[in-house]
Parts: sequence; structure tokens; C-alpha cells
Amino acid sequence: MTRPQGQAALFTLAALGLPAVFILLPILSFVLTSFWQLRDGQIVESFTLENYAAFATTGGFLQVYGSTLLLCAEVTVLNVALALAVAVFLVRRPPALRFGLLMLFVTPLFMSFIIKIYSIRGILGQRGVLNEVLIGLGMIDQPLTVLLFSRPAVFLTLAILYLPYALLPIYLALERIAPNLYEASADLGGGLKEELRHLVLPLSLPGIVVAAVFSFVLTLGDFVTPQMVGGTEGFTFGRIVYSQFGLALNWPLGAALAVILLITCLAVVALAGAALGRRAAL
Amino acid sequence: MRRRIRVFDLLLGLVALLALAAMYAPLLTVALFSLFEPVRRRGQLSLGPFSTESYRALVNNGDILSALGTTLLVCALATAVTLVLGLLFAFFHVGRRGIARHVMQVLIFVPFLLPPVITGLALLIFFRQAGVERGLATIVVGHAVLIVPVVYRTLLVPLQSISRSLTEASYDLGASGWQTLAWVLLPQLRTALIAAGLLSFALSFDETFVTLFLSGSETTLPLRLWAMMRVGLVPEINALAVLVLALTTAITLAVAFLQWRSRPATG
Repeated sequence: MTRPQGQAALFTLAALGLPAVFILLPILSFVLTSFWQLRDGQIVESFTLENYAAFATTGGFLQVYGSTLLLCAEVTVLNVALALAVAVFLVRRPPALRFGLLMLFVTPLFMSFIIKIYSIRGILGQRGVLNEVLIGLGMIDQPLTVLLFSRPAVFLTLAILYLPYALLPIYLALERIAPNLYEASADLGGGLKEELRHLVLPLSLPGIVVAAVFSFVLTLGDFVTPQMVGGTEGFTFGRIVYSQFGLALNWPLGAALAVILLITCLAVVALAGAALGRRAAL
Repeated sequence: MRRRIRVFDLLLGLVALLALAAMYAPLLTVALFSLFEPVRRRGQLSLGPFSTESYRALVNNGDILSALGTTLLVCALATAVTLVLGLLFAFFHVGRRGIARHVMQVLIFVPFLLPPVITGLALLIFFRQAGVERGLATIVVGHAVLIVPVVYRTLLVPLQSISRSLTEASYDLGASGWQTLAWVLLPQLRTALIAAGLLSFALSFDETFVTLFLSGSETTLPLRLWAMMRVGLVPEINALAVLVLALTTAITLAVAFLQWRSRPATG
């Protein structure tokens, strides 16, 4: 009789203990580290706010933080608009075609991240395919240097990489709209404009909000893409965080900057939740 | 009216086409270059003759092959660990009442919702403080933390739809808990387990952000590629890219097919 009980206790211990040890504890120790300090290359475990003060008073940090937020917001706006157009296009196709087309858009999600960046870099480079094509078409005389290792390059690459994440939630929201609602709209004399304004847009709004959160949070946390296509011009906040754990080697400062990144993400999620909640209350 | 709708659909179609072109043109270019190495004559880019040279170079590139070996080992371990843990958490959610199962669910979804850079550096700091050296084990733990929520979700839905009377019948016939698991529950979950395993493998194969923080002297394929790309271009990267893309695409299609086949009959 005691053996099954012992097994049940072990089961509970594993199901609650493993996440506590490997998820909760690491997050706690990372937040704690942000309050420690670096003295002569050693981490000293005494409480300080100087890492946060460094963020607030160092012009460089604030400026990169601001420009990164702007960059991520731009990518989010572009991708949500693109995803909305593609999702509306998809749901207007016959069901048989729809699934295949959707798979075309979603499959890149599972393709190697690094290889996708590598292939985009091959297109954008100064001697890349895009420059060759533009010269071949006679549209430009000299290769454009702005295409790679620049802020526009980071913007474009992030947009291409994260489009599927924006598309999926919007598509799933649109797909749930019952077909008879479109009929009702038409029966009431509504044209295309009315259908889009009073049916498609309001009912896909939850999907749009989720898509915006995905786009923003994922691009904000991505430090690999800006490093690979951004060069010195495409410096982002994520790269600063990562560099504190690599070359700069200041873990407490890196942890503090990552806490700021984390709070930013949580704020975006909370904002989105509030937006959806207010809409539900109406 | 009709015409306006047609123009509208045409515009949307153009946007969709443009998006697809932006996503696939770079990949197709890489595939093309892997078979026809680009050459430059008087500044003009053109394709060389058909050749499988880049693939042959790939097979002889020891650095890439050893990174591939490490990656496959990590994938296998991570897949095994995430399947066991995913099952454990799914059973816990189905079998228990009360707040504990909600606490568990919220906890395992935290790394899924955070940017991976946070998960990576949190685990890095944690392992350092616990005195654990970075290596294969820390990479596998990092992958497991990221992937378990996906596996859990994939297993939970079918597990919830298995009738309780099946397990009760098994107990009535005198089977133990483990026997019921092995002979009743796991066979019912077969498709979901395969789909979850493939997903886990594909996600682990490609994981970059967390691995960058947690790898010691081992280097996985994405890390190796990252390092190679910072130095410069090597022709065999094109060949490797094609093979990796083919593998991940095949896995994706297999998962999509499994999920589509096991969809509820009403759907």
C-alpha cells in the first residue's frame, strides 16, 4: 500500500520540482545577479543599484534602447499589415488550396534560423544577387552599399524571418469567422468595404494583437540577426546584453540590462492584455 | 462591385506573392549556388557549370561533420528528455485536481513566452552558481527547458480525449499503473508521440540563442555555421544549407501530415 503512495509523492515532486529548479531558480538567480557588482573582474555579492543607474545615466545605453524599440515597432507594424493582407487572401481561397498555401508560409518557421540569415545575406551583400539584378536591369549604376551591414538590412531581415509568427495568429482568428456571417453581411447590403470594416477587422483584432506581441517580443530578443546583417550600424539592445556575457564580460550589468529587456516584454504583453480586455468589456 | 472585389483579391495576391518571394528567393538562390558555383567575370556575376563539388567538399569538412555529430547527439538526448518530461507533465495535469497542476503549467510555459536570450543567460548564471561546467549536459537542459512546453501541448490534447473508462478497465483487470501506461495509454498516444518527437528534434536541431550561452567546448551545427559566416564564405555552406533545409522541411511536412490525419473527425 505504501509503494503506490510513495510513487505518487515522487510523481508530484518531479512535476513541481523540476520546473522549480530549472526554470524558477535560474530566473531568480539572474534577477539577483543584476543587483550585484563587478569588482576587479570578480562578481561581488553585495546589493547595489549601480547597474541600473548605469543604464539610466549612460547616454549610449538609452539611445540604443530607444532606437531598438523603434526598430522593433517598425518591423511589427510592417509585419502585422503584411500578415493581415496575406491572411485575408488565404481565407478567401477555396479550402483545398488554402491549406497548401498556408503550409508554404509556415514551413520556413522550422527551417534553420542561421541558414535563413545566411541566404538573405547572400542576396543583400554589396556583391550580392540583388545588386547584380538591379544593375543588370539598369536601375542603378553602382552597387548599393546600404543593403547590408546597415539598419535597413536588419529591418528587412527581421521582417522576413518573423513574418510567419505574425501570420499564424491572424490567420487562425480569421479562419474562425463563421461563413454565414459573410452571407449575413452581403444580405444586409454590405459591400466589400463594410465586410472588411465591420466583420473582418473587429473579429480578427485578437489575432492582430497576438501577432503584434509575437513580432515585437521576438525581434526585441533577437541578438543574432542584428549581429549578422547589422554590422556596426545595426547595433541593438539585445546585442549589448549578449556582449556583456561575451567580450565585455560584465555579468551583473548584462543581467540588469536583460531585466530591463524582460520588463519591456512584460509591459508589452500587459498592454496587449489590457487592450483585449477593454474590448471584451465593451 | 464584382470588379472591385476582383481588384481587391488581385492586390492581396500580389502582397502574398511578394512575401513568398522575399521568404523563398534567398533559399532558392543558395540551392542554385550549391550546384552551380557562381563565378565573376569582369565584375559580372554568372553561374558556373553544373557541379557537385560543394557537396563533395562538405563530406570532407571535418569541422562541419563533427559539429553535425554533436548536434545529432544533442537532438537525440533532448528529444528523449522532452518526451519523458512532456508525458510526465501531461499525466500530472490530467491526473490531479487543484492548484498544483496550474502552477506546473504556468511554470513550464514561462520560457516559451520569454525571449530565448533571457532563458539562455538565466540558465548560464544558474549553472555557474551551481558549479556546473558548461558542456553537452547544459545544452540539453537548455533545449529541454525551451521545448518541453511544445511537447507537453502536443501530448496533452490527445491524452485528455482518451476515455477514463479505458484506464479503469485496465485497473479492474488487475494491471498495475506501469502496465496500464505501457499497454493502454502509450499505444493510444502513438501518433501524438511521433509528432511531438519530430517537433522536438526539429526545434533542437536549429536551436541557436540558448545554445550560444550554454555550450562549452562543444559546438553545434548552428554555432559552427555562425562562426564560419563571420569569417567568410565557404562553398560547402551552400551544400550544407540545402541538406539541412531538406531535412527540416521533410520533418515539418511529416508533422503537418500526422496532425492532419489525427484531427477530430468532425473538423
